[in-house]
Amino acid sequence: MSATAAAVHSLWTTRALADTAATPAIPTPHIEYAQLSPVLIVFGAAVLGVLIEAFAPRAARYAGQLAVSVVGLAAAFAALVALAADGYAQGRSHVAAMGAVAVDGPALFLQGTIVLIALVATFTFAERRLDPVAHGNRVDSFAAQGSAVPGGEQEQKAVRAGFTTTEVFPLLLFAVAGMMIFPAADDLLTLFVSLEVFSLPLYLLCALARRRRLMSQEASVKYFLLGAFSSAILLFGIALLYGYAGTVSYGGIADVVDGTAKLTPALANTTGNDALLLIGGAMVVMGLLFKVAAVPFHMWTPDVYQGAPTPVTGFMAAAVKVAAFGALLRLLYVVLPGMRWDWRPVMWGVAIVTMVVGAIIAVTQTDVKRLLAYSSIAHAGFLLTGVIAVSPSGVSSVLFYLVAYSFVTLGGFAVVTLVRDAGGEATHLSKWAGLGRRSPLLAAVFAVFLLSFAGIPLTAGFSGKFAVFKAAAQGGAVPLVVVGVISSAIAAFFYIRVIVMMFFQEPQPQGPTVAIPSPLTSTAIALGVAVTLVLGVAPQYFLDLAGKAGVFVR
Amino acid sequence: MNPANYLYLSALLFTIGAAGVLIRRNAIIVFMCVELMLNACNLAFVTFSRLHGNLDGQIIAFFTMVVAAAEVVVGLAIIVTFFRSRHSASVDDADLMKL
Amino acid sequence: MDPLIGALVGAPLLGAGILLVGGRRLDRTGHWIGCLWAAVSFVIGVVLFADLLSRSPAQRTLTSHLFTWVPVAGFQADVGFQLDQLSMTFVLLITGVGTLIHIYSVGYMEHDENRRKFFGYLNLFLAAMLLLVLADNYLLLYVGWEGVGLASYLLIGFWQHKPSAATAAKKAFLVNRVGDMGLSIAIMVMFTTFGSFAFRPVFAHVGDVSQGRLTTIGLLLLLAACGKSAQVPLQSWLGDAMEGPTPVSALIHAATMVTAGVYLVVRSGAIFNAAPTAQLAVCVVGAVTLVFGAIVGCAKDDIKKALAGSTMSQIGYMMLAAGLGPIGYVFAIMHLVTHGFFKAGLFLGAGSVMHGMNDEVDMRRFGALRTYMPVTFVTFGLGYLAIIGFPGLSGYWSKDKIIEAAFAKGGTEGWTLGAVALVGAGITAFYMTRVMLMTFFGDKRWQPDAEGHEPHPHESPKIMTIPMSILAFGSVFAGGLFSINSAFLKWLQPVTGHSDGHSPVATWEITVATLVVLILGVGLAWQSYGRQAVPAVAPRGSLLTRAARRDLLQDDFNHVVLVRGGEHLTRSLVYLDHTVVDGAVNGTAAGVGGLSGRLRRLQNGFVRSYAVSMLGGTAVLVAATLLMRGV
Repeated sequence: MSATAAAVHSLWTTRALADTAATPAIPTPHIEYAQLSPVLIVFGAAVLGVLIEAFAPRAARYAGQLAVSVVGLAAAFAALVALAADGYAQGRSHVAAMGAVAVDGPALFLQGTIVLIALVATFTFAERRLDPVAHGNRVDSFAAQGSAVPGGEQEQKAVRAGFTTTEVFPLLLFAVAGMMIFPAADDLLTLFVSLEVFSLPLYLLCALARRRRLMSQEASVKYFLLGAFSSAILLFGIALLYGYAGTVSYGGIADVVDGTAKLTPALANTTGNDALLLIGGAMVVMGLLFKVAAVPFHMWTPDVYQGAPTPVTGFMAAAVKVAAFGALLRLLYVVLPGMRWDWRPVMWGVAIVTMVVGAIIAVTQTDVKRLLAYSSIAHAGFLLTGVIAVSPSGVSSVLFYLVAYSFVTLGGFAVVTLVRDAGGEATHLSKWAGLGRRSPLLAAVFAVFLLSFAGIPLTAGFSGKFAVFKAAAQGGAVPLVVVGVISSAIAAFFYIRVIVMMFFQEPQPQGPTVAIPSPLTSTAIALGVAVTLVLGVAPQYFLDLAGKAGVFVR
Repeated sequence: MNPANYLYLSALLFTIGAAGVLIRRNAIIVFMCVELMLNACNLAFVTFSRLHGNLDGQIIAFFTMVVAAAEVVVGLAIIVTFFRSRHSASVDDADLMKL
Repeated sequence: MDPLIGALVGAPLLGAGILLVGGRRLDRTGHWIGCLWAAVSFVIGVVLFADLLSRSPAQRTLTSHLFTWVPVAGFQADVGFQLDQLSMTFVLLITGVGTLIHIYSVGYMEHDENRRKFFGYLNLFLAAMLLLVLADNYLLLYVGWEGVGLASYLLIGFWQHKPSAATAAKKAFLVNRVGDMGLSIAIMVMFTTFGSFAFRPVFAHVGDVSQGRLTTIGLLLLLAACGKSAQVPLQSWLGDAMEGPTPVSALIHAATMVTAGVYLVVRSGAIFNAAPTAQLAVCVVGAVTLVFGAIVGCAKDDIKKALAGSTMSQIGYMMLAAGLGPIGYVFAIMHLVTHGFFKAGLFLGAGSVMHGMNDEVDMRRFGALRTYMPVTFVTFGLGYLAIIGFPGLSGYWSKDKIIEAAFAKGGTEGWTLGAVALVGAGITAFYMTRVMLMTFFGDKRWQPDAEGHEPHPHESPKIMTIPMSILAFGSVFAGGLFSINSAFLKWLQPVTGHSDGHSPVATWEITVATLVVLILGVGLAWQSYGRQAVPAVAPRGSLLTRAARRDLLQDDFNHVVLVRGGEHLTRSLVYLDHTVVDGAVNGTAAGVGGLSGRLRRLQNGFVRSYAVSMLGGTAVLVAATLLMRGV
């Protein structure tokens, strides 16, 4: 022990100068900028957005921010496609940036998905036709001034002056960049930092609703406190895993778990102590389960989804789930496959509880945003069944499901923004009664999304559910599939109930109006419908794509 | 001194922080308890770094501090706006949304 | 030449598209467009026929693969055509008779404001029927099969303002569905048995498959044929289908569509040859229907329904022949073609009579029309002579061959079937003579119609009489032409195969016997309807007559057994559904709802209790993980 202590001391005392031969040389970090370019482009665009906020005149900010976001995200997507075309998704996949970030199939696939989600979300963020014109200014879903007291004099002044919170665009971009690193993180430190990088902007975005500010702020506080709490637990888990393996790199930990690592005296001391590994692993997994909204770490979801501005909810529901499931897959498949006999039964339990509780509580919901929140919890359960498969088809089915689910979710929340009454969005389900009579097209589109959520054949939801259940059944989790199918049946009940409500009930006399969206929101909704139908009718190409992208680098 | 003792201290601090999150009503205090948990993690990192004789844990501790600082910036901003619109920082007042 | 096969189907389909999409602006020219596309298709048919004739008999099968319809691994559904002698025969019959009837309809439907739509449907029918006979696999055949069903439904119900027409269309559709189910299940069984449903591979592997499978497929195909061709027990729709315009009755419900069942059986000859049980079933169905239709035809006073009964009976002959196997296939098709001529001619004649008599159909109100409608009388009369099998005319050549083939089957079966066919010929002579006498001879029994208009019988315009004359020409000479040097036999033999069989009765004996029953039938009819005046109100008649007037109680049977039975079954199922199923479902729903309400309360809105749940969850997660390892 003293020998090691002396070696460590030698690193930071003058003894190092005297004993250079014993000092491990710290090499200059080697960063593969080209391979990290998608993330760097998004970060660059975000920083540019901050500069626009600082220097551009207020009138020019909206257009500037929108342009920077769209161009940045499009460029990032192009870079991702170029990387994939270069073979980084398969043959050339490796770990870049000194072991911090993986460039491989799942990472590129998920990053591409996230970037596309963000692009669509940018459109819904930028929508300015839905709210009535305030003092001659078109306004979006966000508060005139986030810091102002709701209803206070300062806020009224800001509204009169036509302020808008254009900071949401850089915030979105920072979150996107964090989410892109999250599923690609190849050591636990990067995992933690990227988690915070995408979480912090989301906490802020949640608080910025133009209407129902109190609810919005409450959502933000709840999300923030619980998020910080969960990341503290995750960090402690990282500390324990580091204590167990002496490294935070995924490959390094996996080697220690498998027993193939070079044994140092310190390692010999800690590897005997499996408690460190098991407790640490469980805590890290808990941090990720919080983000995917698995029961019992789901309780923030309904409140935050309901309170946050609806475009933000749509973005969160889609992108956070993609990023977090990506990270969960990598963690379980790369770091902890050696102890899958320990975590699989536990995850079985989590998946079952998540599916059942999500579906059952949704049955009695009366608010459409809360309903979608519980539906997203149930979907997290369905996705977990694919994760548990521990097979290549498990990975590809989860990847496919994420694509199918996220675009439908974005579209669904975009529809929610359109149904409005005097108080803003009319989210209470009773107001949606008879919507099919007033606005058949919108109701039909929403019905398509609901059918997809319910997993009715010829929709993307069915293809995805079929893929994960098939993978799970092949992985030996037949009881899990049975529970999944039963929960799907329960879930179908409340989705179909909404459809019945929209089409077969008399409209209320003071029912909501349906706002005519600009092409921005229309694009988001149309894309949702297109993905739903394409992945539902002809899923094979995308299943193959996900299958090709389903190999992790280690 | 046995480094394991530092780990025990770290676990104790973490538990105190977690208990504070569960018990305290004031959002600021709840948040401070979360910071306490992060610091407990830092202590664990540094101890393990010492145990394993590599620098990773100590570097992570620095990262954690930076992240914690960023969290403070965002968190305080959120809590302050929350306080200003309700004149209360009690998390138990935040129950507009439930069921 | 091969792309022309697609054009054969494409031409009328295009016509249907133009007419149905074109809308009202085509109202003035639509009927000619319809005729044009039918004629185009006929011309293509003739060109292809000439091409086939120029080849040696072994080379007379053309195929044309258009595209792959459903490309799924292991399930290959192609859109491809196969033109051989059998299809060619049908193509010429369908397009030839079809074109004539199109032209006839121009006159017949002159005063109908939906004439354009009518021609659109007729073109649609032609396309579907051609698809049916040209398909090179059962799935595509099924498409055509459903297509003709649709066209038939649309055309029977063409005058849907009449409740009887709408009901008849529905009835035809429903009864046909039963048969269609048979065909679709047959295709499924075929696919699981052979791994394909294209004609060629299926027929090639018939020998490798168990007898039971083949019998199953055969019986299912027979069910399909019964539905489409109005054979017992699915015959009830054909009489009501006469509610459609008369050209429809002539084209679809006499000459072409109803013979699709015969086509199906002959086309599937390879399957039936290897499944004697199914073959016998075909014979029995044919024999029963032959007598059944003939008896119904004797009792009907409605001229079209009498002819419909006759159609049923004649198709019974074809079925009987098709069930005899290689001895009968050729004669089934030959009778089908000659029947196509004379029955279409008879229907057009009936239409012409109705045209002149204010749409009256009751033969008891006709009489003595021969002087008022000379052309109709002559053409109808030639058709009449052909159908009863007057020596030298078409029906004589084809029907006698069937009777002969039935005897040639040998054994008790042969004697029975032959006797039934022979008796059927006698009844045919009786009811057709009855129709002839009641319509064209005797006294005038005309009565004013419901609105008080006195009928002024007159000859129909040329556009109607010319097609009738051409068909009459066919009725007289087709059979004879086919039989010169056994031309038809030699033409079809490569496809259907043929064996002569050994008749226990000499050919001349059969001819004599047939002539005897023919004379008996005609004489009996003359006795009842020629020498005595026909009462304007139908006499009560014997028990059999009354039953035959009600289509031998087929509707009553269906009502009692199927409708009532179905109602009882439905009621008990509804009861079961309400109590057991709904009870279980509602109970579950209530249970889930209650559970949901309780679980919801956990979501109490307080951050701190959420944090408790998270920390508790983490503790459980950690504990469970540790437990798994047993640390």
